[in-house]
Amino acid sequence: MKGTLKKVLALALASVMTIGLGAVAHAADLDTSEEVELTMYVVSDRPAGQDVVDENLNALLKEKLNCSLKVNWIGWAEYANKYPLLFSSGESFDLAYCATWLNFASLAQKGAFMSVDELWPTYAPKNFEAATESAKKQATIDGTMYCVPTLLATYNAYGPIYRQDLIEEAGIDPDMSTWEGMEEYLDAVKANHPEMDGYDVYSAQPEIIMTWMQSKGFNWIEKGLPFMFIDPTEENPKVFTYADYDGVKEALEMTARWNEKGFWSKSALADTDTTKTQNGKAAMRIHNIDTPAGYAAAPVDPSFEFRFQNVVKNVAHLPFTQDCMVISNTAKNPERAMAFWDLLTSDQEVYDAFYYGVLGETYTLNDEGQFQITDVNLYNTSAMWAARTTELNRNQMGTPDWYNEMRAGYEDQIAENDAAEKYTSFVFDQSSIETQVANVLNVQQQYWWPMELGFTDYNTAYDEYCKKMEAAGLQDIVDEAQRQLDEYVKTLE
Amino acid sequence: MKNGRERGRKEGFREEWKKNKPLFIMAAPAFIFAIVFLYIPMVGLIIAFKNYRYDLGVFGSAFNGVDNFRFLFSSGTGWLITRNTILYNILNMVTSQLLAVLIAIFISEINKKIFKKVTQSLILLPYFISWVVVGVFVYNLFNYETGFIPSIVAAFGGEKPNFYGMPGAWPWIICLFNSWKWTGYNSVIYIAAITGVDSGIYEAAAIDGANMFQRIWNITLPSVRPTIITMLLLQVGRILRGDFEMFYQIVGNNGQLYNMTDVIDTYVFRSLLTSSNIGMTAAAAFYQSVLCFVIIMLVNTIVKHIDADYALF
Amino acid sequence: MENSKKIKLSTSSKAFYVIAYVMVTLMALVCILPFIMLISGSFTSEQFLRFNGLGLFPGEFSTEAYGIIFKTPEKIIRAYGVSIFITVVGTFLGLFLTTMTAYVISRKDFKYRNALSFFFYFTTLFNGGMVSTYIYYIRYLHLKDNLLALIIPGMFNVFYLLIMRTFVQTVPTELIESGKLDGAGEYRIFFSIVLPLLKPGLATIGLFLALGYWNDWYNAMLYMNTEAFYPLQYMLYSIQQQTQALAQIASKAGITVANLPSTSLKLAMAVVATGPIVILYPFVQKYFVKGITVGSVKG
Repeated sequence: MKGTLKKVLALALASVMTIGLGAVAHAADLDTSEEVELTMYVVSDRPAGQDVVDENLNALLKEKLNCSLKVNWIGWAEYANKYPLLFSSGESFDLAYCATWLNFASLAQKGAFMSVDELWPTYAPKNFEAATESAKKQATIDGTMYCVPTLLATYNAYGPIYRQDLIEEAGIDPDMSTWEGMEEYLDAVKANHPEMDGYDVYSAQPEIIMTWMQSKGFNWIEKGLPFMFIDPTEENPKVFTYADYDGVKEALEMTARWNEKGFWSKSALADTDTTKTQNGKAAMRIHNIDTPAGYAAAPVDPSFEFRFQNVVKNVAHLPFTQDCMVISNTAKNPERAMAFWDLLTSDQEVYDAFYYGVLGETYTLNDEGQFQITDVNLYNTSAMWAARTTELNRNQMGTPDWYNEMRAGYEDQIAENDAAEKYTSFVFDQSSIETQVANVLNVQQQYWWPMELGFTDYNTAYDEYCKKMEAAGLQDIVDEAQRQLDEYVKTLE
Repeated sequence: MKNGRERGRKEGFREEWKKNKPLFIMAAPAFIFAIVFLYIPMVGLIIAFKNYRYDLGVFGSAFNGVDNFRFLFSSGTGWLITRNTILYNILNMVTSQLLAVLIAIFISEINKKIFKKVTQSLILLPYFISWVVVGVFVYNLFNYETGFIPSIVAAFGGEKPNFYGMPGAWPWIICLFNSWKWTGYNSVIYIAAITGVDSGIYEAAAIDGANMFQRIWNITLPSVRPTIITMLLLQVGRILRGDFEMFYQIVGNNGQLYNMTDVIDTYVFRSLLTSSNIGMTAAAAFYQSVLCFVIIMLVNTIVKHIDADYALF
Repeated sequence: MENSKKIKLSTSSKAFYVIAYVMVTLMALVCILPFIMLISGSFTSEQFLRFNGLGLFPGEFSTEAYGIIFKTPEKIIRAYGVSIFITVVGTFLGLFLTTMTAYVISRKDFKYRNALSFFFYFTTLFNGGMVSTYIYYIRYLHLKDNLLALIIPGMFNVFYLLIMRTFVQTVPTELIESGKLDGAGEYRIFFSIVLPLLKPGLATIGLFLALGYWNDWYNAMLYMNTEAFYPLQYMLYSIQQQTQALAQIASKAGITVANLPSTSLKLAMAVVATGPIVILYPFVQKYFVKGITVGSVKG
């Protein structure tokens, strides 16, 4: 409530200011007479042929905005250490890629970014208008907007990625939207291909039961805390966890059985291979729709027919901050950076030059407008993933037909049932419970993961898990989440 | 009184300076190096007591007392991981040093030059193999389905052991790999120390009719004793620090094993993975430093009382 | 009487030699077998490793991992150059600093030897942590993309200093005293009397310093932004991380690359980084010690 009010005031102030200067709030009134060089940080390794792309883009930017862009790359080998340091080293740069997985909220809270309350509507009005209300709420931390979220819609749809060719080989017809159907499929694969793993688990969080909960209509409220759920169809949803939900034992029983059937390795949590499904070592994994679309576009073996089935009951958009653009608190040209962002996310020509490079040289297009990078050893798409918008972004050549259809289907589902959508813009502020969160995440990994995979006997391990979670301060987290959620629900009216 | 003492100290310094001026000069480069590159960055220690903000920096951020330390102890894990860290260090210290001394003695006594040279190079090989690659080996040796050891056990008719479900096995597995990696490296020091012994002493002993074991016991071991004690003391000074890479690559994300394998460094890494909380990271490091400091001061004082020559400082 | 003693002596020696040879051979085997598996694994196709694991011989011969590492060979060659440069310069400077300081803190007639030892030792207990060190190096010392940032952190290791001290302590005090009586200055005593007696210690600490420099990638990760300054280990590490990331961000980037090597790449990296050292080590060791002590006698 407070946040919204403040934002409205800020907006009003911003427009008063610009009107006061005798101009309309439009990017065009930015003084572009001086040529500037914008500096942008992204997380990725610089492709060998990037010079061609930069040169082409900068010619375009010089003409349209009298500026050029210098991209600095933080490689995959260093980003975990260096990304947070970027904001403490005092180095001056204008914009950077950020994301939930780069701890956007925590960094924003700790003063890493410049507020975009005024910058965004003033210098990137088209982008501002295109952004949904919920995206703007997600960008707001402690009453101030700290990022420009992506305009590309993604969904919480999650479910089995499996292979049609294996189904046909076994001569079965399982309903893959049900857990019984998945089990039937896995049984058949195990019988026909004992050398394969049924279900793909590697040294990370197994997402089976989290998805199982979503298939029952419960949604997580913060993906980083994947043990805490709400039922979005309730009027005043009550926050609950695995520890207070006895029904979860049904899922634990299922995964214990799957383990006994040998659907995954007893050493799965030590296995670092993340590509088992893609490479034919495993028959199924649970993930999002983009993953199998990629597998299908470049199959390791042409006989692999990847399919996807969503099992999440209450479909909603994912937080738009999962890819976002931030302005550094050391930026020298934040206004121009914002104007550049507006241009980038609204102009197909600039977007293509930025994201794919030079047509015919670094990428090609087919009749459907799908792209292909000509030489992946030299070129790549941009690593500024936050620049993607639903309108401007192109699919990879070879993307299966079901991909766009399914995505359109999710939009329809959201339009029909906005139960979960209401809560996508809820941002859980964890600053007052950081200690408890750190402890609880530890317990989750130590006790839940092995139990979820049936390595420990849930009949006894479940109680121990609950006890440990409680000792780690779970209740504080639930109480705080409930308090913030109640407050949030009030603002919805 | 105070003045007198101060004057005394000053005069002592002046006298020492006059007497050992070249020594002061020879120590100066390292002294300056330590100040510039090691002591100045130590101002960062205060981050442990601050609510670090990127816009305010190290000095501008506000103090928050001991808040950053709470996560280590609030859930009762602090004691467990502290205990694990200490036990692992003691176990690893004893095994890797003992083996290193043994191997060094053996290699030094062997006369065949080529054999000596070749083995001396070979035992250094494991040092080059990073923990990431060791992790690959561990998985290939112990995984239940295709692992080398379970397969052998099964081939001999035994019941396949599921190592990843047996937390009790891992302290030994970790100790084994730690010894494997460091024995050769450490033995280089001992071989060098033994080489330094005057060969005349050995000849005299041989004339006296001392046998091999007597010779080793009475001459070789005493001559490497200062090195052994220094090495042990250096290890004691790190007794609260875990080799993060080793534990992380060998154990990975196997929660089942944590009660037996979690050390402070792995626990901190896991806890702060999703929050990038610089203050809490600094707090954990500070806790380790203080405990190490207390322990080494204690041990060093004891050693000093027994024989001042062997103390670290 | 005399006879029986002789026999007893030789049997016990014999027993000792048997144990010694067996133990050392076993140890050498334990060290070399994994290395052989590593080499053969690096030449095995990823898909074969995925289904069959490691073996003593390559399962399905493939050079795909090396193909990725040597995609641009100039990069790797340059990285070897950087590594060799920092290793040689760093080892030399580090050895000089360590030995000289170790000599001072081992002189019993130096009043502040313990205080100084503690002053150095303290830095192994407490350090400012990554954030403040990073800011200090980048903002105040301007060491970004400066090879000094790779040399300085490894140059002065207090552990080596204290190990070196145990070597210096074996030099008889009488030698120093007699040097003084002969009218030699402190510097001369150190360089021409003490240093030549420290051969084994110099070789050991020199080896450790060199290995430390050769294996370090962490400092390069922090302070080097330009690929031209990457030492070998970091270049390899960064190639591996890139490959791993490619598999994981495929859906984001909209580019899927099928079947990227992962395990075999890690193994091939180890081969590329270690191979030259293992081959060169015995030669370098020999001349290195000679060079140092000869130089010192002249000086």
